[in-house]
Amino acid sequence: MSIEDIRVLTAQLAADPSSLAFLPLAEALRRRGQLEAAEKIAIAGLTRYPDLADAHDLLARVLGDRGDLERAFDEWDIALRLDDRHAGAHKGIGFLYYVAGDLPRALKHLESALAIAPEAEGVAAAIDRVREGLAGMEGSSDVPAAAGEAPGTPAVAGSTAPSSGDGAGSLFSGLEGAEDGLLLIDGQGLRLGGGLNGPDGAPVGDAVAAHLAGAFRDATRAARLLSLGDWRSVGAETAEANFFLCAPTEDALLLLVRDSSVPIARLAKHAERASEAARRWLAGAA
Amino acid sequence: MRVIEPWVADPLQRFLAESSARLVLLTTSSGQVVAQHGFTRALDVMSAAALGAAIMASTDELGRITASGASRALSHQGPSRGVFLSGFDVPQGRWIGLVVYDHDSSLGLVRLFFDRLVGELTALAPVETPAREVLAADFENELNASLRSLFGR
Amino acid sequence: MNVDLAGALELITRVVGVRGAMVVSADEGLVVAESSMDGIEGAAVAALTAGVVSRLTRATAAAGRSAPAFVHLQAEGGSLLAVPAAEDLLVVAVTDPDVNVGLVRLELRRMAEQLA
Repeated sequence: MSIEDIRVLTAQLAADPSSLAFLPLAEALRRRGQLEAAEKIAIAGLTRYPDLADAHDLLARVLGDRGDLERAFDEWDIALRLDDRHAGAHKGIGFLYYVAGDLPRALKHLESALAIAPEAEGVAAAIDRVREGLAGMEGSSDVPAAAGEAPGTPAVAGSTAPSSGDGAGSLFSGLEGAEDGLLLIDGQGLRLGGGLNGPDGAPVGDAVAAHLAGAFRDATRAARLLSLGDWRSVGAETAEANFFLCAPTEDALLLLVRDSSVPIARLAKHAERASEAARRWLAGAA
Repeated sequence: MRVIEPWVADPLQRFLAESSARLVLLTTSSGQVVAQHGFTRALDVMSAAALGAAIMASTDELGRITASGASRALSHQGPSRGVFLSGFDVPQGRWIGLVVYDHDSSLGLVRLFFDRLVGELTALAPVETPAREVLAADFENELNASLRSLFGR
Repeated sequence: MNVDLAGALELITRVVGVRGAMVVSADEGLVVAESSMDGIEGAAVAALTAGVVSRLTRATAAAGRSAPAFVHLQAEGGSLLAVPAAEDLLVVAVTDPDVNVGLVRLELRRMAEQLA
């Protein structure tokens, strides 16, 4: 959509604030990356049309692009409660479940989206990807890549993940735990590379990455407010495993997980080497 | 985030960033909305503002008749979300803050950063003539006026 | 629970390099009991430590592991150490950078066991 089209829609909305022109206008702004403006217009539209599923879907896509996946989920959830055959909402929620590592639920929603709108862009490819991941969970410990697979879905647009070459092999190759026990995470909680399996061998990297999205902020905030200076690492010992978290760059987190018999002090040594590898890889991907 | 008083915006933005609160509503003690974040429906703001003002008025009155003093803050922890409600004084008069948070935050974090928010608001508040007493009859008009500003209605 | 919290916290703060210790409610991030916190606001320690531990607990659960039994945030100017105890409590210490972390951990665990 051209700038002229946006001007026309803006004028139309100004002349008639009750117009549904806010839908294409906010979508156009979203596609142009003007997310703050898009969110404002979507919210203003929602105050007039709180029961319009398309408006909730629109706001969810904007929030997704802004990296606020939790609120995006809420909005898509509302959209589905208003219209359980809303393909966009099924597609969005399907993607969020995929990012969180819940592949069965992701598949259910993506299949619903495809059944409702067979022509929907990218859904069939996303379903194939999720099925591959599910097959991998059943047959091996391979970890599906976290980002870049579902065109048009919100978190992808906001992701900093390189589109290819981010497999564990190329990122941490030669390091112990390259495929299970080393995880590189971006600021939005998306897995950039590496992998982690649960005790049953199922991949859990994406879910762990999602939960650690705010860890950088938490650690920075705690160290700053307690006058401890810059934080260097966070270690956590559990009965089964030891976790070690550090930040190789300002917008990436590195997680190492080893059996509880490996002391955290040794994890710190491993982390130095893995951080070096992560920095090289991130510099190459930039 | 929507604010009626522009000087409230920066401190409130910092509070949101630090506390990870989901919803925030600042009102006067009569329920007139000063700022809100996270609400998408005017109706929700209207209800929350009125209920918050009513709860604070009730607990303050309870404190008065039991000689236990005015309530500083109240909190309620639900299964997935918590609510923090607190009255505080700025040069404009008594205001009320209503904060909703989830597992990404805690009562301690909300309280910690809310205290800082109050400190910043008190320091930044422009000096004004004392607020007039709000009559019960004005309550709904003021509420509706602030909602029009916040939601463009 | 019948524990001399002040006395138990005193044992932790006796370790050289410990600036303060406290018991915190993990869910709410509020102070339950505290020893003298050298130049640090107790409410901030409680809220921020509970936040860090809560996030790590969610992450370890997502990884299929149990909740952390010990958490160590290391910063250039010192450390924040936490050990969960019974009844949704955390025993927490704030230390200088050159503290004997192993010794502090032992004292934190000792107190956590007393609270059990």
